[in-house]
Amino acid sequence: MNYGLIQAVVSREWRTRVLKPSFLLATLLLPVVSIGFVVGAILLTESAEVNSTVLVEDAPGLISRLDRASGQYVPRCPGCFPERQNLNYHFTREAPADSIWQAEGHTVLVEYDDSILQNQSGYLVYEKSPGASAKRNIERDLSRAMEHARVLESTELNWSAYQALKMDVNLVGRGIEKGQRVKGGGDEIRGSIGFLFSALLLLVLVIYGGVIMRSVVEEKANHVVEVLVAAVRPEELLLGKVVGLGAVAVTQLLAWTILSGLGFSAFQFLFDSGTIGQAATLGSGEVPVDLLTLMAENEGLSHLLDIQWSVMIGGAVAFYIGGYLLYGSLFAAVGSSVQSEQEGQGMILPITAPLMFGYFAAIMAVENPDLPILEWLGWFPLTSPVIMLVRIAGGVALWEVVLSWALLMLTARLTLGLAGRLYRFGVLHDGSRSGWKLLVHWMQGHGK
Amino acid sequence: MTPTLSLSQLQKSYGTQSVLDGVTFDVPPGSIVGLLGPNGAGKSTLIRSIMGIVEPDGGEVLIGGQPWSREGARGIGYLPEERGLYRDMSVGQQAVYFAQLKGMKKPEAVASLKTWFERLEVQGWWDKKVSDISKGMAQKIQFICTVVHQPKLLILDEPLSGFDPINARRIIEVVRSLAADGTSVLLSTHDMPSVERLVRSSGHVESRSRGVCPVHLPSSERQDGTGVQEVLFKGNDMSFTHALGALANLDSIGPTSMSGVRKASIRLRDGVGPADVLRALTQTIEVMEFIKVRPTMESLFIDAVSNVESETTAEA
Repeated sequence: MNYGLIQAVVSREWRTRVLKPSFLLATLLLPVVSIGFVVGAILLTESAEVNSTVLVEDAPGLISRLDRASGQYVPRCPGCFPERQNLNYHFTREAPADSIWQAEGHTVLVEYDDSILQNQSGYLVYEKSPGASAKRNIERDLSRAMEHARVLESTELNWSAYQALKMDVNLVGRGIEKGQRVKGGGDEIRGSIGFLFSALLLLVLVIYGGVIMRSVVEEKANHVVEVLVAAVRPEELLLGKVVGLGAVAVTQLLAWTILSGLGFSAFQFLFDSGTIGQAATLGSGEVPVDLLTLMAENEGLSHLLDIQWSVMIGGAVAFYIGGYLLYGSLFAAVGSSVQSEQEGQGMILPITAPLMFGYFAAIMAVENPDLPILEWLGWFPLTSPVIMLVRIAGGVALWEVVLSWALLMLTARLTLGLAGRLYRFGVLHDGSRSGWKLLVHWMQGHGK
Repeated sequence: MTPTLSLSQLQKSYGTQSVLDGVTFDVPPGSIVGLLGPNGAGKSTLIRSIMGIVEPDGGEVLIGGQPWSREGARGIGYLPEERGLYRDMSVGQQAVYFAQLKGMKKPEAVASLKTWFERLEVQGWWDKKVSDISKGMAQKIQFICTVVHQPKLLILDEPLSGFDPINARRIIEVVRSLAADGTSVLLSTHDMPSVERLVRSSGHVESRSRGVCPVHLPSSERQDGTGVQEVLFKGNDMSFTHALGALANLDSIGPTSMSGVRKASIRLRDGVGPADVLRALTQTIEVMEFIKVRPTMESLFIDAVSNVESETTAEA
């Protein structure tokens, strides 16, 4: 391998794409648009929220009582009507005519009779809809108040005793390793993290695989290819192309990450300072804690700490590189055998099929990490990049990771050589034939 | 002197079709060698075999006396017939890129390119996008990319296609100048006038047909002609034919012009020199002009190819 030549190819691929106005525009625009969407959604939600003053006509007297001191009806269970930002409750036994309660400043009337305890149904009267969110909150508050009323009426229990009787069972996983019980569970959380890595890899492979294919087709269309293969070995040329375009992907992802981070920090600052939305709080009396402490104290989040992050990150980088080299070479091979991008699109399905199969297997792996087929798919180079990332997150022996990656890299190297051979034959291809038959023909060593 | 390029018994088949069948010739240092042949004769396959794009089935390629290697082939300045430039790069950027692929460092590539840009008067195009320049200008840039690394061997496939006459002449001058400085040139083209202009001064033509065998067209034939003479004279047919006697055959004779001049084409017999014929004619008629007809490169090419094909048919 002549690394000087490969470097020249890498540099060309990177420069011609990254230094283009369209790339800069797309790279700057995406974070701006995504932040714009979030801010827009929040502002929209804020503007959509209407303050509702609710008059509850508790005709049967189930949930309210007269407070002699104030002369007002108040809820029997004050805790059932927590303070809500956009809801303000008033109670009465008998509501006046609609025009009058509206004139008094109420926007919504809740009315029901005794039958509510049986059929669990009442009416919400309004001129302008309070919105789905407010309606849900009113229903929730009212249900809780009714529950409170029924507990008091039908049992000898008091409300706090009833609350204490309510059950919400949570099963915490405990694994067995080498005959010893160890902290377990959290498979789904860890698997989901691995799956996120897999899904992103799949996205990168499909998007940038397409870019590689287009780039090869373009060189053929430009008639540059014959000069290139006369100067550089096709394997070196393809390696330079794949690495160069990979560098473009990394540049774009890094730029997006940094710009999005800056953008969201700015947004967070504005949000916290109250310029946008309402200041976020951790809850009254809560003291801010650092993320690791918070994660360790939360049973669900603590599983994130169980992931071997050094292996996870290292494995992700390694399998991203291996998977990208392998699939990049395959996409380049397809580009070598076709005359147009449209023609190429029809040929990439067989290439992406194992990738998609791996993707769906990765989804299964989130729920059932110990399925035997996953182990086999982890060894198979066409599926190992997406599968192994989920397996690493779930916990797998280091030797398995290393061996699977070695197999992947070996296959990628062989595929690169094969793609180089096809690329060289592609120079001679006059377009009279194309497709998989032609590729197989070339693989057998026939140049035309 | 070691040939810059030496081909020996080069063979290549695609399936059952033999395309190169024992091609053997040398390209000496400083020579311009024309590679002629009809469509499908295998010229491109031959060039691609030299460049390592196609792997020959047999035979040997020596570059500068050394067996073929990737490094050796990289040193060749190759201008393929199917050529182009990246449309999304500036002229200067991609010229530097191609020079780097030929093994040059960026600073020396830039320096060499600046010189060539000035020589071919395209220095104002360095920062232009390829999509903004004309086809002829792009051809010039491609030519510069071919010669920028000062190759000892140039392989030019249809180098003048796309050029206007003025720029074609300039390229011819540059190629001749490079050859004079010791660069060997292998030229493949269908454009016979350009072959005449390039090859006349130095060298010979190789022509081969349908993978059979190479045909040599020695430069002596071009110098001496083929024994055909054109005669402009005043007088009648009888006197003219009588004067020729047994020295030459009369091919054709034209009508008398307003000024009483006639034009005849004669073919000298073996062992007879033009001076003998001229002496005999001037004794009986008034000779205005006596011209030795040299064959055009096109007629030589057609004759050579026809001969090879008739030989092949006869052998079959």
